[in-house]
Amino acid sequence: MVRRVKSLLRRRKGIQPQIDSLDDHGSLSNKMDENIDYFRSVYANCSDVVIRPFLIGGMYQAYFIYIDGLANVEETDEQILQPLMNATVKNTNEIMNMLENKIPVTNIQKFTSLSKCIDSISTGNPLLLSDGINTGYSFCLAKWEKRGIGEPSAEVGIKGPREGFTETINVSTSQLRRIIKSPSLKMQELFIGQLTKTKIVISYIEGIANHNLIEEVHNRLERIKIDGILESGYIEELIEDNPYSPFPQILSTERPDVVCSNLLEGRVAILVDGTPFVIVVPTTFFSLLQSHEDYYQRFLVSTAVRWLRYLFLVISLLLPSLYVAILTFHHEMVPTALLLSVAASREAVPFPALVEALMMEVTFEALREAGIRLPKQVGAAVSIVGALVIGQAAVQAGLVSAPMVIVVAITGIASFMIPRYAMGIGFRILRFPIIFLAGALGLLGVMMGIIAIIVHLSTIRSFGVPYLSPLAPLKGTELKDTLIRSPWWKLNTRPHLTGDYNKHRQSPGLKPDPTKGGE
Amino acid sequence: MDKGRISSIQMGMMMYLTILATAILTVPSITAKYAKKDLWLSPIWASIIGFFTVIIVIQLSKRFPRQSFFQICEHTIGTLATKLLGFLYFTFFLIASGQITRTYAEFIKVFFIKTPVSVIMITMLLLSAFTVIAGIEVIGRVAQLFFPIFVFSVFIIIFLLLPQLEPSNIFPILENGLLPSLKGAIIPQIWFGELFLIVFLLPSLSDSKGMKWGILTVLLILVTFIITNITVLFILNQNTEFYIYPFLSATQLVNLGDFIESIEPIIIAIWILGTFIKITVFYYVTILTTAQWLKLSDYKPIVWPIGILIVEVSFWAVPNLMVNNHIDITVFPFLFPIMQTFIPLFILGMAVIRKKSKSLEI
Repeated sequence: MVRRVKSLLRRRKGIQPQIDSLDDHGSLSNKMDENIDYFRSVYANCSDVVIRPFLIGGMYQAYFIYIDGLANVEETDEQILQPLMNATVKNTNEIMNMLENKIPVTNIQKFTSLSKCIDSISTGNPLLLSDGINTGYSFCLAKWEKRGIGEPSAEVGIKGPREGFTETINVSTSQLRRIIKSPSLKMQELFIGQLTKTKIVISYIEGIANHNLIEEVHNRLERIKIDGILESGYIEELIEDNPYSPFPQILSTERPDVVCSNLLEGRVAILVDGTPFVIVVPTTFFSLLQSHEDYYQRFLVSTAVRWLRYLFLVISLLLPSLYVAILTFHHEMVPTALLLSVAASREAVPFPALVEALMMEVTFEALREAGIRLPKQVGAAVSIVGALVIGQAAVQAGLVSAPMVIVVAITGIASFMIPRYAMGIGFRILRFPIIFLAGALGLLGVMMGIIAIIVHLSTIRSFGVPYLSPLAPLKGTELKDTLIRSPWWKLNTRPHLTGDYNKHRQSPGLKPDPTKGGE
Repeated sequence: MDKGRISSIQMGMMMYLTILATAILTVPSITAKYAKKDLWLSPIWASIIGFFTVIIVIQLSKRFPRQSFFQICEHTIGTLATKLLGFLYFTFFLIASGQITRTYAEFIKVFFIKTPVSVIMITMLLLSAFTVIAGIEVIGRVAQLFFPIFVFSVFIIIFLLLPQLEPSNIFPILENGLLPSLKGAIIPQIWFGELFLIVFLLPSLSDSKGMKWGILTVLLILVTFIITNITVLFILNQNTEFYIYPFLSATQLVNLGDFIESIEPIIIAIWILGTFIKITVFYYVTILTTAQWLKLSDYKPIVWPIGILIVEVSFWAVPNLMVNNHIDITVFPFLFPIMQTFIPLFILGMAVIRKKSKSLEI
C-alpha cells in the first residue's frame, strides 16, 4: 500500500523515464588504446560494426571503424586504405598532411568529440583513427541500398510527372532542386529523435514564404523530444494545431510537383528521412480537396471535376443518414411511386433502417480496410466475397434491402473521390455519428450534425491560416482557385496565407490571343 | 473580452440571418392581419426603425470607438444608472433568447410531434454554446458560410414558385389609404430594431466600414422582406393572414413536372441554419451583456450556466404558443423598440449634451 502511494507520488512529480543519451562523452584522446577501447565498449555486441586495425606506412597504428552495409567498402579500399598503407611517412604531421591533401575523397570531416564521431559512423561514413592524432577523420563514403524513384502509388493521375519521392532524403531534396533551380529555394536541416536521429529538412522559398511562418515551423519542430521519428505522420501529429480534429490540418504528399507548387505559393515543406511522404504547412480545407491534376488539365474540365468532387463530398457524408432519416421519419418527402418501390424492397428486411445502414456501412469499411492490408494474391478473394456474399446474397436472403446496398455503394465510391486519403477518412468517420443522429432525430439530427461539423471546421486553424479560408473568412480574389479553377492566365496572384506576402505570381495580361503573336 | 475580429461584411451577414431567419416565416402572416393586401408596403415603413437604429448605434460607437455598450453608458449616465441598465438588458436579452429558442422549438415540433420541446431546444443550445465559446470569429465565419445558402435557397424557392404567381393579386393598392400598411409595420419593426445588436459587435470589427454595411444590411433585409411578402401575396392572396407560416405553406405548392415537389423540408433545413445563427448571436450577446455588466474578465465560464437559464426562461416566459402569440402582439411591439432604439437614442442624446456642456466649460 505504502509502496503504491509512493509510486503514485513519484509519478505526480513528473519523473520521466530517461532516454539513454549519447550526447556528452568528452573528446578523443592522444592515446590510441584509450580511444579504441572506448569505441569497442560503445559498440559492444554490435556485430555489424567493423573495427579494422592497420598500419599507416607500416609504422603508425591506425583503425578504420565503419558499419557493414552502410559504407562503400570498394571505394574505401581503393582510395584510402591502399594509399595510406603504401605511403612512407616519418611523423604524425605528415600523416595529417597526407590525409588532407592526398586522399581523393570529396568530403572529409574532422571531429574531436567522441559523440560527433559516433554520429558520423552511424550515418555510414567510415572513421579513421590514427596513433598520435587526437582527431577522427570521417570520409563521406556512405552508400547503402535504396529504392529507386518510382511512380507515386498513393497519388496516381493521368497527366503530370510520374516520379514520386523515395525514402532517402537527399534524393528527395535533389528532386525539389531539380524543379526549382533558384538559389532562393532554402533547405534547413535538423535532427529529431534521440535514438533515430532522423534528418528533417525544412524547405521554403525565400522571399515568398513568410518569415514568421518559417520561425513558427522551426519552433514547433524544436519542441519535439521523442525517441524516434519513423514517418512524417509522427511530425504531423506533434505539430498540428487542433489535435482532436478528425480532419487533417497538414498536407501530406509523395509528389515533388505538388510540393513545389506549394512552395511557390509560400508554404513550407517538411521532408523527413525514411519516408516518401513530405508534409506541407499551412494547408486549408479546400486545398485538401484539390488534386495536382486540376492544374494540368484544361481549366473548364478542372472546374467541372471540382464541382463533381464537392457534390460527392456531400454525398459521402450525408447519403446514408438522409436515407435513414427519410425512411424513419419523413415519408412524405419521397414521391409516392418511389416510396412504394422502396417499401416493397424493405418488406422482408427484419431490421430498422438505422441498424441496416450501420451494418452495411461497417461491413463496407471492413472490406475496404481488408483490401488495403491484404497481399495481392488474396485481394481477389475479398472482392468476390464482398460483391457476391455481401451484395447479392444478403439481399436475396432478405437481410438487407437492395436500395441500402446501392446507397452504401454510392457512398463508398463518393468517399474515394476525395483526392487526399486522410481527408476522405475523416469524412468517413463522421458519417457514423450523423447516421445515429438521423436515426434519433431525423432531418433535424442531420442538420445538427452538419452545423456541428461546419462550426468545428470554422474553429480550426492551420499554422495561423483559417481552415475554411478563402470561403470563411471570405477572400474574394482567391475564390478563383476554390469554387472554380481559373485558367492560368488569370491566376495572377498567390493565395494569401498570413502576414505580409509576395503577391504577384506572374505578369498580368498573359491571356493568349492570335493578335499577340508578334506578327 | 473576446479577442476575435470580424469584418463588417461578416457582421452584415450575421445580422441578415439573425433578422430574417425567423421573420421570413411568421411575419408575413402578422403583417397581413393588419395590412391586408398592402403587406408588401409595411416593411418599408418598418425599415425606418432599422435605419434609425443603425445610425444611432454607429454614432455612439463613433463617439466612443472600441468601447463596449456599458462603458459608453458609464461615460454618459454614470455608474449606478449603468448597473441598473445592465440588469435591464440582461433580463431583456435573456427573455428574448428564451422566446426565440421556444419559437424555434415550437416550429420544429410541428414536424416532430412526439419529440419533447426541451430536447429540440437543448440540442440547439448545445451547438450554440460551443459556437459562443469559440468566439465571435467563428460565429462570423459560420454566418458567412450560411448566408449564401440561405439567400440562394430562398430565391430558388421563389423561382420555382413563378408559375403559381398571380400578379393581379396586388390590386387594389392602398385600398384603405396608408393606415393599414402602417399598422402592419408595427410588428416587423421589432425585427428591424434587432440591428441594435451590432453595438456589441462593433468593437470587434477589424475595419471601419460598419456604417456602410449596417445600412446595406437594412436595405438587403428590406428587399428580401418585400420580395417574400409579395410572393406570399401573389400566391395566397387575402388568405395570407390565416396561415401561421405563409411562406412555408406557399412552398408546398411547388410542383415542377411532378418531379420537384414537396420541398418544404428544404425550407425547414434552411430555416434551421438561419435560426442557429439567430440563437447563437442572441446567446452571445446575452453572455457579453452579462460579462460586461458584471465586469468579468472572461465570458467563457458563464456560457453554460446562462445556457441552462435560457432553457428555463423559454418555459417561464412562454408557457404555451397562445401566450407567445399574445405577447408577440401586446408586449414586444413596445418592449423591443424601447430597449433597442429609444434607450440607445437617449444615451446618444446624453452623450451629445455632455460633450456640448463640456466644450462650453472649456
